[in-house]
Amino acid sequence: MSQLSLKRLEKSFNEARIIKGIDLEVADGEFVVFVGPSGCGKSTLLRMIAGLEDVTAGDIEIAGRVVNDLPPVQRGIAMVFQSYALYPHMSVYENIAFPLRVEKLPQDEVDKRVGAAAKVLQLESRLQHRPGQLSGGQRQRVAIGRAIVRQPKIFLFDEPLSNLDAALRSEMRIELMELHKRLGSTMIYVTHDQIEAMTMADKIVVLNAGEISQVGSPLELYHKPDNLFVAGFIGSPKMNFINGKVRSADGSKVTIDLGALGTLVLPRTSTSVAGQDVTVGIRPEHMQLGNGEFTLEITPNIVEHLGIHTIAYSTLPGGEPFIGLFEGDPSIEDGKALNMGFSVAHTHLFDARGLAVY
Amino acid sequence: MTSTRSATIFALALLAPALIYILTIVAYPLVDTIILSFTNASLKAGYDFVGWANYQRIFGVGNFTEVILRTFIWTFFSVTTKMIIGMAGAVLLNAAIPGQAVFRILTMPPWIVPMAIGIYMWSWMYNGQFGMISGLLQNFGIVDGPVAWLAYGHTAFWATIVTDVWIGVPMVTIYFLAAMQSIPKDLYEAAWTDGAGRFYRFRRITVPLMVPAIITMSLLSLIATFNSFDIIWILTQGGPSGSTTTMIIDTYKTAIGSRKYGEGAARAVVICIFVSLFCLAYFRAVRKLQQGEAK
Repeated sequence: MSQLSLKRLEKSFNEARIIKGIDLEVADGEFVVFVGPSGCGKSTLLRMIAGLEDVTAGDIEIAGRVVNDLPPVQRGIAMVFQSYALYPHMSVYENIAFPLRVEKLPQDEVDKRVGAAAKVLQLESRLQHRPGQLSGGQRQRVAIGRAIVRQPKIFLFDEPLSNLDAALRSEMRIELMELHKRLGSTMIYVTHDQIEAMTMADKIVVLNAGEISQVGSPLELYHKPDNLFVAGFIGSPKMNFINGKVRSADGSKVTIDLGALGTLVLPRTSTSVAGQDVTVGIRPEHMQLGNGEFTLEITPNIVEHLGIHTIAYSTLPGGEPFIGLFEGDPSIEDGKALNMGFSVAHTHLFDARGLAVY
Repeated sequence: MTSTRSATIFALALLAPALIYILTIVAYPLVDTIILSFTNASLKAGYDFVGWANYQRIFGVGNFTEVILRTFIWTFFSVTTKMIIGMAGAVLLNAAIPGQAVFRILTMPPWIVPMAIGIYMWSWMYNGQFGMISGLLQNFGIVDGPVAWLAYGHTAFWATIVTDVWIGVPMVTIYFLAAMQSIPKDLYEAAWTDGAGRFYRFRRITVPLMVPAIITMSLLSLIATFNSFDIIWILTQGGPSGSTTTMIIDTYKTAIGSRKYGEGAARAVVICIFVSLFCLAYFRAVRKLQQGEAK
């Protein structure tokens, strides 16, 4: 039985439909990341699961029970907020103990649980401090501590690392993954940062305009995006798209006219794309210098040398931006034409509706 | 050296208008009042210095000690009631209820209506023959006959407090509402997620986070209420039989009514000392709160 299931879940604010019928199953102990651009409804969805937003239609089930009308505390969830939501006038101890005070647990039990959480989160020496005296990372840990002491079935995280600097963010990412391993609890994590999604998730849910674009493991989404949106969203720098028209599709291969770039033949069994406008996708990191199975002549207009990688930005004759990412520090200069190629095995093909063609 | 000196002169030149203004409007009258308080000045031309006689008189034989006590009681009840109603009003106006904007606007009239008009309206409401309060109470059978609220000492005392509260509550409410709205919504959502009910959230989040606003408003209201003149003057002129005579009314009656400028000035100095102490408390509180915030 899944720990959380969303069934045809919808949410509207007046006339605006924010969540448009979402179905999702989350297994016990899974780390699920909701990812998507700003305004895609990921935070709203999380808040609906938490019980902070009403459900317009559909059902939320936690451990087999419909919880639509239950207050948050009865849902078995604990939430960590983007702003940490720490009580500035209370000590770290009282912040972590807050849910236990609400429950009116005896002091021994409060001490035991707060102590255990503080130990896990390395906050033991900070218990008597106020949140204002802590660093961003420590505040985040206090917020997590407040969630841990409730021993919830599901942890909900709403962009918890977005207020931290880059270095601290990657540190906290690892801490959260270790925490997930140690507690074995189900965690649902909202972020707009695909690095967080790719590194932390067992399962990523990509949301776009209130709908699920694709659900899958990080590598599934990377290697087999279902649609143009996911293909463009997952991966950094983002996937290159080249517009073309299918000249023929015979059931084993598809021949695509890429205009000035030439003709590309891809092994695909679909015949329905014959005559359609299509989009060919190729990731920047799959480009190689020199010739490949398909070769393009490119004149970079900007080149970034990162030491470990070199990134060349250019524009195709059709006006599409095109990026090549190469290992190390090859001699590429802006304004100087060069050949770069790719293998057809790395190519993605999307039909006129933006859906992947296999 | 020269540049430092010219900088000092420039700074003084910039300060000069403000300094002249303060010296003329504040310092001169204050010093003059203090000097007068040691004289027997009256309408008669010229005056003599009488030492501490005026002070001995007001704290000795007269009823000024009683007036001081009455002022403190009047101020205490007025400020406390304003704070309680103001807080309750802020909580209600902060609640997500339909027509919230309308209710917010409806709190404003006591503040917007010119004070004298508001007070005259109350004086008619307190009237025994034509007043609404007496009329309503008679209609409901709570009192047998007309009650002229301002005609008896004990009722006039409370009636003036009620009017003072009516005028003062909107500002307190709006101030508390602003303070309440500056508390991040996330804190309430986090507490609600943890199972904290409405009252628990109010007690453990709202009130502690509003302590700075409560302290600031209480002290500001204390200073304003302590010096409240127009309400009592228009309603009762300090009567009947001095039952609503506070320090400021007594000072006015002595200095302006009886033309005893010397004695009046001594009373004004005493008020000034009390208000200065309140101001001192206010500034200390503000500094302490700012230090607390900086931590």
